[in-house]
Amino acid sequence: MNIYGSRELCSDVIGKQLCIGCGACIDLCPYFRSYKGKTAMLFPCSLEQGRCFAYCPKIEVNLDELSQQLFGHPYDGHPLGEHISIGMSRAGEKAGTGSYQAGGTVSALMQYALLRGHCDAAVVTDREGLLPVPRFVTKPDEVLACASSKYTAAPTLSALHDAMKKGYSRIGMVGTPCQVLATAQLRSNPMKDEAFHDPTGLVVGLFCTWALDYRAFESFISARVDRNSIEKIDIPPPPSEIMEVFMTGGDKIEFPLNEIRKLVPESCSYCIDMTSEFSDISVGVMEGRPEMNSLIVRTERGRRIVEEAQREGYLILSDMPRENLEHLVWAAGNKKKRALLKATEEGIVNTAGEDRRSYLRINGGTLKKCIA
Amino acid sequence: MSYLNDNQEGSVHLLMGNEAIVRGALEAGMRVAAGYPGTPSSEIIEAFSKVARERNIYAEWSTNEKVALEVSAAASFAGLRTMCVMKQNGVNVASDFLLHLASSGTRGGMVLVACDDPGALSSVNEGESRIFARLVEVPLLEPGDLQEAKDITKWAFELSEELRNLVMVRSVTRMSHASGNVTYGKLPNTEALADFKCDGPMFDPDRGPMISMIVGAADLQHGPQQEKIRKAARLFEECPFNTYRGPEKPELLIITSSACNLYSREAVRLLGAEDRVGILKLATTWPLPPKLIMKNLARTDKVLIVEEVLPVLEEQVKILAAEMAAEIGPTRFFGKNAGNIPSVGELNPDIVIEALSSILDIPYTNVSDSFDDAARELARKAAPNRGLTFCPGCPHRASLWSIHNALELDGRKGFVCGDIGCYVFGTLPSGFSTVKTLHSMGSGTGIASGFAKLGQFGMDQPVISLCGDSTFFHAAMPALANAVHQKSPLTMVILDNNGTAMTGFQPHPGSPNNVLGEEMPAVDIEAICRAMGALVEIQDPFDIEETQEAFHRLIEHDEGAKVLILRQACALSPERRHTKNFEVEIDEEICLGENCGCNRLCTRIFGCPGIVWDKEKGVSRIDELICVGCGVCADICPAGAIKKKEVA
Repeated sequence: MNIYGSRELCSDVIGKQLCIGCGACIDLCPYFRSYKGKTAMLFPCSLEQGRCFAYCPKIEVNLDELSQQLFGHPYDGHPLGEHISIGMSRAGEKAGTGSYQAGGTVSALMQYALLRGHCDAAVVTDREGLLPVPRFVTKPDEVLACASSKYTAAPTLSALHDAMKKGYSRIGMVGTPCQVLATAQLRSNPMKDEAFHDPTGLVVGLFCTWALDYRAFESFISARVDRNSIEKIDIPPPPSEIMEVFMTGGDKIEFPLNEIRKLVPESCSYCIDMTSEFSDISVGVMEGRPEMNSLIVRTERGRRIVEEAQREGYLILSDMPRENLEHLVWAAGNKKKRALLKATEEGIVNTAGEDRRSYLRINGGTLKKCIA
Repeated sequence: MSYLNDNQEGSVHLLMGNEAIVRGALEAGMRVAAGYPGTPSSEIIEAFSKVARERNIYAEWSTNEKVALEVSAAASFAGLRTMCVMKQNGVNVASDFLLHLASSGTRGGMVLVACDDPGALSSVNEGESRIFARLVEVPLLEPGDLQEAKDITKWAFELSEELRNLVMVRSVTRMSHASGNVTYGKLPNTEALADFKCDGPMFDPDRGPMISMIVGAADLQHGPQQEKIRKAARLFEECPFNTYRGPEKPELLIITSSACNLYSREAVRLLGAEDRVGILKLATTWPLPPKLIMKNLARTDKVLIVEEVLPVLEEQVKILAAEMAAEIGPTRFFGKNAGNIPSVGELNPDIVIEALSSILDIPYTNVSDSFDDAARELARKAAPNRGLTFCPGCPHRASLWSIHNALELDGRKGFVCGDIGCYVFGTLPSGFSTVKTLHSMGSGTGIASGFAKLGQFGMDQPVISLCGDSTFFHAAMPALANAVHQKSPLTMVILDNNGTAMTGFQPHPGSPNNVLGEEMPAVDIEAICRAMGALVEIQDPFDIEETQEAFHRLIEHDEGAKVLILRQACALSPERRHTKNFEVEIDEEICLGENCGCNRLCTRIFGCPGIVWDKEKGVSRIDELICVGCGVCADICPAGAIKKKEVA
């Protein structure tokens, strides 16, 4: 991995609208800060190499290297990424109930991981009003309080940094594909720190097709509804094509998704990952089954925790119908293809291994397969 | 008793130029002094305040220079001798009233002391006040040494009464702030009785109303005013302060005034050119006495004009020389136009020597270049490398820190319109380069008021203006009224550090006392802003988190004008001096130094001189000698290595 400093990060990521505000560079130092979804560099740092650059999921992402480190072999470009099993799940009876979306699998898993000591802290995304707020929690019931999808990009990695600083060493991380990718880069010890050990106990990735720009979404919503009375926001699985905003008092206001998609930042169109491929476990909604989740188990550590959680009544598993699986593969492959084509067109994909700084480094053969 | 009040005629005292001016006024029986602080003029009003009770003087720091001139004029109208004091930029502020005053004329002797700052040593420009004398047609006097600073000031009052108009006395930094021996004259022992006589007919100089002009009646007032200037020129022919020294027929005549008189004398002496060069030192530089000028121009055909900044004297002399050409023959002029004397910056004997040695072809070697190089090298090694910055514990550093960070996080490329105060460093890295416009006092808010109305043309950058508490009263209130009335969504920051700090803590209308230390009603800045209709918040800039949040709230609020008062006393102020809120120390174990995760934020970026970088240990250290214990650095250290402990 080629590592540079904050100057290059600013010019190549923030300057080229690639920054999604995941928080990978936040709170490592006093220079990068997040405010209302946007990342800003307050002052220039003069170091030539920094963790900010090394962890960023939008610059010098070496897919082969990462895959090798996490899964033991180079990146093969499968639409759903590395996986041991793919199925459906929902929270079991033992798991508490909260305002989670779909099957509640993520909350159930994290509660379980904290309860049984697989994790000593869990990094989740809470919200204050409309604003997603990263937090780390240490008690199972705190996980539930933060449940539900946020839909706007959030600097969640900053809470991971915070938990690490405070000495937690088996951190459960819940994040979107960009956040999970950043976490994977962090776990690969890019700065070659001798005292390094993987600070995560479990990484749960979320399915994501896009996130909304917080500031654009805030001004969109504020112009249309009383933002202080919003209870919950949901985007039901396809084919509904709407965003539902639930208000205090029981009103539900719907916005067509084609209006909402205009608020998606440019950065998301470069994202090749729909299912958080560098996680232990990935979870998404199920088309046509609003009470269930899709569940991809990718690593041994993930498999072990899922099985235990099932055994102890925290998780209920079932098979995924064949047509759902086919559709999932198709959708994820499509996102990957579109993003790779666009990034290649922009000249920010590097297949040759030369020194030129780029967004992605990917094997030429794999790239060809993905965009075929 | 103050030495300024010594009534022993002929006694000699070492006085600063500004004190010599004060002594001159005391010897003239001056009763009322008003001014606005500004380097290099500030010591004058302060000196008056020290002798005010003994000499029955009324002195005040006025809200601004225009008001000061008005206050002073009132005393003159009531028959008292009065002085008004300001720096060169202040004359610009006072100039509207100045033109009117010159037209109405005065009664009691009235002297305007303008202290110019060639080289802008403590100003943001080297503006010329001399030109105002010509512009408004009042006489201009310039002392050529410290004795004259006293004597000319005293004479200026007599001249003013003889002409029935204001007289300007112009000093410069090197005159105001240099010290020298001054021989005292007598202090008068006269009663002063103020009485504004206004029951006479129009234009009666003794009993009529004091009015600047009747519309459409220019000839009735402007004509007589110009007659006063012609009378001044006649009087100046015999003025004992215009002196010539040198041979009867010198090869070169230097014409000069003010501090340049001293530079010229020194240059001639160092070159040993006393036999070849004569110096005509003028104290009456506007209007010039034509006969005196002709007599001296006739001495030679080569003339060098030595003056600082603009060629004001040079042009006047050239006009007269052209008119007199038939009598005196052609004259070759050296000076600014010929390129011998620069039009920028202060002069010094070296510059005059250089001009003289080239004109007269006298070889002269100044200190050798190697001396200069050695001095520079020594300074580099021995003195800490420190840019222009705020004092340790200055609240402005903390304020600008929060402004900078809020604007960066906001991300809309917001900027700050500055104005005059210590916070001009906001233009530099020491103030985090936040200030992007900088002009006269109060103008930051006026400019911001304009910027913030450009939304209809697509400009969405947040606009912040800065002004100090003294500046607020001086010139920023009209700009705020404008912003409120025009619904201009600027955020005005009032850096309220409890006094006119930059010039030495002179009181202003917001202070609870006056220059004499008497209790006065403090005018409430917050109440004024609220009454004007602005949205007002108050924060302590040392509370970085709260202050930054306030900035976010205000710059995101786009309905009309907002004011944030950041209240924290100047670190050098009498009440904060020698007190510490916190003992601050750095835990070397925790300090990250140059690592990723810090990169020396405290010394590289925050830049408080109270924190120093220990190169050997690779950690930061508190310089206990100069740390004033504000504790702000403890809140910005990302590692928590800087610890503050409240001082009981």
